[in-house]
Amino acid sequence: MKRLLTLIRREFWENKGALRTTPLIIGGIYIVFLLMSIFTTAHFDNELYTFREAVRLLAEQPAEFRAAHGEEVLLGSSIFFTIVLAFVVFFYLLGALYDDRKDRSILFWKSLPASDLLTVASKLLVAMVLAPLIFWVVFILTQVAMAIIASLMVLSVGENPWTLFLSVVNPLEAWFLLLASYLASSIWFLPIYGWLLLVSSFAPRIPLLFAVLPPVVFAILQVWIGFLRTFTLNSNLFGVIGEWVANSPAILSIGVHDGRGMLTLGAPINKDFDHAVTLANIFDRLFSVEMLAGLAVAAAFLAATLWLRRRATDS
Amino acid sequence: MTPIVSARGLTKRYGRTLAVDHIDLDIPPGRIVGLVGPNGAGKTSALKAILGLATYDGELSVLGKNPSRQRAALMEDVCFIADVAVLPRWIRVWQLLDITEGIHPRFSRERCLEYLALTKVTLDHKVKQLSKGMVAQLHLAVVMAIDARLLVLDEPTLGLDILYRKQFYTSLLNDYFDEERTILITTHQVEEIEHILTDLIFIRDGRIALQATMEEVENRYCELMVRPDRADEARALGPLYERELFGRHIFLYDNVSRERLAGLGELHTPSVADLFVATMKGGAS
Repeated sequence: MKRLLTLIRREFWENKGALRTTPLIIGGIYIVFLLMSIFTTAHFDNELYTFREAVRLLAEQPAEFRAAHGEEVLLGSSIFFTIVLAFVVFFYLLGALYDDRKDRSILFWKSLPASDLLTVASKLLVAMVLAPLIFWVVFILTQVAMAIIASLMVLSVGENPWTLFLSVVNPLEAWFLLLASYLASSIWFLPIYGWLLLVSSFAPRIPLLFAVLPPVVFAILQVWIGFLRTFTLNSNLFGVIGEWVANSPAILSIGVHDGRGMLTLGAPINKDFDHAVTLANIFDRLFSVEMLAGLAVAAAFLAATLWLRRRATDS
Repeated sequence: MTPIVSARGLTKRYGRTLAVDHIDLDIPPGRIVGLVGPNGAGKTSALKAILGLATYDGELSVLGKNPSRQRAALMEDVCFIADVAVLPRWIRVWQLLDITEGIHPRFSRERCLEYLALTKVTLDHKVKQLSKGMVAQLHLAVVMAIDARLLVLDEPTLGLDILYRKQFYTSLLNDYFDEERTILITTHQVEEIEHILTDLIFIRDGRIALQATMEEVENRYCELMVRPDRADEARALGPLYERELFGRHIFLYDNVSRERLAGLGELHTPSVADLFVATMKGGAS
């Protein structure tokens, strides 16, 4: 256990920029944008008259309305964090078993009595748990900071932020849902994580190319052969991966429901799953046949990864 | 005594070339073994097999373990430094110590800090800020602070200045080495390690060309320096190798009694470097 934690610390130190600085920068961008919009408003809005009116109108709405919308704003503002997190995890995994082979430091890491299983596990855990956790914490800190700034604004026009939104909107549920969605997505995307680790364990150079090219070539061949045989464009690997992302338990997009914007789990392009953002729907995906098939694929990729890592040296 | 390293028919293939060709080898505990061979002779391939870093054919047992299947367990008792600086460039020295301490049960932070105090390396340095020699010093400090039973050094002092090289081999001998420990060293600078070795292994074309203790080497081999007029007499005694230096002929003999040679000229014990050249060029072993 101590060894595993040490290996995870190593990953954090090595990838500090991606794992810590990146979410901090996004949080910073959020706050800068908020401040910029405040200055814009203050600049054009004479003595904040329009803003005062808007706040007053909002205060007149029923508390339920404010609570529901507040929660959607909280969750909806996570989408940018989520997308960047996906990129961070993607490139982290591509380099995870490649970088130390490239700079030959694998000879040092392999001189330590940590098994290759533990090494691979530490990298997978960073991608599945540590990275989402850090992004989640920074997201919460950003929202707290933004809530403080917004409260000061509301105070400055003579309204009470406590009764307006602080006491009405319960952020805990939104934060909890986001964390559940992050961790469930980590499991949902295991087949892709497994593939990326596999590529990073054998790619002689440019792992990105080795990760993307084979599936693309495979899918194009599928489309072509399918077309030759049936003159139709049937489902292929592109479709499978696309649907996989669309069905994921990540809070990803804004659909339209009953004439107003709504957050959705994944993208509501098919009816395989219920796309409403609820804990039940998140679990629904984890206990599905699709997930089982995905785990089988992931297990095969990870087993191959481990086999290759055991044999890996500097050349 | 059970050997630390025991190999039977150890073979390593890269495609169709044999890097290591059916080597039989036993290294007992408490020895300092020099593994010497020209570039591409198979030294590093053999070491990688011993360290569980490469697949191989044949039987190999290191400290009673199978290196290819039990690398992690083996590394609790084995330390190694590969031929060039391989410490990760992003790491800070204190992080390196934290990681080694967290993973290695036999690492002593105090000892490591003592060794580091002799260098210019500080805890806050990043490896990429250090010169090549300082990286080597850092790696050596970490490795010597690990209480291992087998230490494998593949060109450990490459890029180090002569002051530190001397200091390193002195502290290796005085502070580190004892009867329980075994050290396996490869280096091209044979003359620097010759005085600390207990055993010598020459390797050529993937095979062992010579394996002997230093005492055996001293007893078996003899170097004779003669004037040109007596060179034919000396040649008749079947030298392993002959060279000329300042008009003198120098012959190297294997297993020729010193009494028979003494009358012909000056007798010396050959240096490891001369013996190496003779063995590699002379063909016989």
